[in-house]
Amino acid sequence: MRLTDHPILGRPDRGRVVTFNFDGGEMSGFEGEPIAAALRAAGVAVHRYTKKHRAPRGVFCAIGRCTDCVMVVDGRPNVRTCVTPLAEGMCVKTQYGAGGGELGSSAAPEAADGRATDEKV
Amino acid sequence: MKRYDLIVVGAGPAGLSAAAEAAAHGLGVAVFDENSRPGGQLFKQIHKFFGSKEHKAKIRGYDIGAGLLREAEGLGVKVYLNSPVTGMYLDREIVAETDGAVSHYRADAIVVATGASENMVAFDGWTLPGVMGAGAAQTMMNINRVRPGSRVLMLGSGNVGLVVGYQLLQAGCELAAVVDAAPRVGGYGVHAAKLARCGVPFFLSHTIVKAEGETRVTGVVIGRVDETWNIVPGTQKHFDADTICVAAGLSPSTRLLLMAGCEMYEPVPGGGRLPVCDEFTGKTSVQGIYAAGDVSGIEEASSAMIEGRAAGAAAAAELGYISGGELKARLDKLETALASLREGMFAPKNRGKVFVKTDEGYDISDSLLRNGYLADGEATKYPGVKSVAGIHPVIECTQNIPCNPCQDACPKGCIKVGTNIVSLPAVDEKAGCIGCGMCVASCSGQAVFLVNEDVGGGFATVTAPYEFLPVPQKGERGVALDRSGAPVCEAEIVDVRTSPSFDRTFLLTFRVPGEQCSRARFWRREVRRFGRD
Ligand SMILES: Cc1cc2nc3c(=O)[nH]c(=O)nc-3n(C[C@H](O)[C@H](O)[C@H](O)COP(=O)(O)OP(=O)(O)OC[C@H]3O[C@@H](n4cnc5c(N)ncnc54)[C@H](O)[C@@H]3O)c2cc1C
Ligand code: SF4
Ligand code: SF4
Ligand code: FES
Repeated sequence: MRLTDHPILGRPDRGRVVTFNFDGGEMSGFEGEPIAAALRAAGVAVHRYTKKHRAPRGVFCAIGRCTDCVMVVDGRPNVRTCVTPLAEGMCVKTQYGAGGGELGSSAAPEAADGRATDEKV
Repeated sequence: MKRYDLIVVGAGPAGLSAAAEAAAHGLGVAVFDENSRPGGQLFKQIHKFFGSKEHKAKIRGYDIGAGLLREAEGLGVKVYLNSPVTGMYLDREIVAETDGAVSHYRADAIVVATGASENMVAFDGWTLPGVMGAGAAQTMMNINRVRPGSRVLMLGSGNVGLVVGYQLLQAGCELAAVVDAAPRVGGYGVHAAKLARCGVPFFLSHTIVKAEGETRVTGVVIGRVDETWNIVPGTQKHFDADTICVAAGLSPSTRLLLMAGCEMYEPVPGGGRLPVCDEFTGKTSVQGIYAAGDVSGIEEASSAMIEGRAAGAAAAAELGYISGGELKARLDKLETALASLREGMFAPKNRGKVFVKTDEGYDISDSLLRNGYLADGEATKYPGVKSVAGIHPVIECTQNIPCNPCQDACPKGCIKVGTNIVSLPAVDEKAGCIGCGMCVASCSGQAVFLVNEDVGGGFATVTAPYEFLPVPQKGERGVALDRSGAPVCEAEIVDVRTSPSFDRTFLLTFRVPGEQCSRARFWRREVRRFGRD
């Protein structure tokens, strides 16, 4: 999935290789790239399951607006992985519902300004 | 509380232009953007821009962005990144969040240049991982440098769908199809033709019935729609795909303008609200607040940059940094540049209209609008296509789009667009083409080819632009494809040219049997059997 060369953009300038943990397994990516990019490169598509319908969600806007890509990162739920840089040793987990946050708390991703897709499923 | 003369929200083409313009007139300016990099959409855009020199035509989007940023920073503009502006109040105060810390800033004038967000289309399975906005795919491949998927279906045939579709091919993805519920391709024909000759099928009057898959997209079903937008039974088609990109238009991000109490209106009932503002400077109903770029109505980066400049100049005048006379002189110049972009069949004022003829009276190709390519024999109807002895340009640019780099590129005056940049380019067959290839490399729509109908031995050569990897080598044999992407004959590469002035576009020259030179428009490496499909 990674682009190693490109007819217009040439070879990418990447950070150093770092390892991180995804749902208990070890993975690697480039320091500073969005967590979602490292996951995409590793073939991970599902970032979270919604609270009510347990429907899977993945990257949708890639610019931090829709909250579909949120995961539990280093124990913190609702982290938008498409705009959060990857760092050595991060612990990234698929988020289920509000991700351990209090139910109905304002931290629930569905409350954010975005696509709020839960109502639609 | 920190204060500036001018605060600009959004560091896209509109915002950076507003900032640079105002700073050049002496204002102290700060720009806020929520992203970690400035440039808005520009840094994702890797194609050469349309327009004319004054609009930075034929320069790739990211280079335009880099230039704007250098200009703004050189003028002392302060750029705050990772800083979403979450609030804006009547007294021209804004609230920005940087690293979770909330700060208040005040200014004498504010330019809101927050751009737009992508529209979504709901279909069965639209929330599955693998369904994403076209802009998201563009961010992934051009910024994050990861392919969004392996095999993609594009919903939407406007310029965004077509341009992102081509970028997906450049990133090495397969493009299963371009699908649009409208009966005609919405974007420029030249963008559609680039995809069609690579073999991408177009399904107009079709929409997505459902995205298949349990936890992620594994396939797509499309179907034809009737006049009432219902799926016609029995017309369903399945495609294997792991990604669906949706390019269904953009909606202005007007939240801050609303918060600040700017008057809004709805141009089309139910079609979303726009700020009431001066069409040119973006002056809103609230004193000191301007709207520039997509937030004041969806257009293009080229127009967003001019609107930004106009807003920056108007703010400078409002704050007394330039006189009314100076402002007028500046605006007159900018207005001429903007007016030339707002002409032609794709102009904002012509949205929704169906054109059957060009301004010059040439028929618009029905095949181009329905299939994405000119049908065999149609090209010769246009003024850019002439049969001449020796090497000569063949220009398959058949709609009135605001663009003229082909004319500027030619050192011999072979190509005439004229002063109205939406006119169709015409070839002057007497001007004496020297085959330098500048026109091919400069054409933003990749619509210019060089043809030599007789190179001896019954062969002809065709030179086409090429922006894929790996770059073919001289002597390689492959097949020539016609405008629909169907193989027409074997073709050997006889020349591959590159030059800094071609700006990463390669020029491939391939040899084909003489009778195929009016059909062969692309080259593919694998020799597959042809004549069967
Ligand atoms: C695929 C594609 C291809 C295109 N091709 C062309 C082309 O060939 N030629 C052309 O002229 N145009 C093209 N366009 C259109 C062009 O990109 C847009 O019209 C242009 O970018 C609009 O500029 P802007 O400055 O208004 O907005 P944007 O470029 O969208 O910039 C707005 C910026 O504001 C930021 N922002 C928004 N809200 C906030 C907030 N509250 N706080 C802080 N920051 C905020 C955004 O993150 C963004 O960085 C294309 C568009 C797309 C999507
Ligand atoms: S190849 Fe050179 S001389 Fe010939 S038309 Fe193009 S730009 Fe002009
Ligand atoms: S042929 Fe000329 S006018 Fe047409 S897209 Fe190319 S450069 Fe623009
Ligand atoms: S995909 Fe990350 S917020 Fe939308």
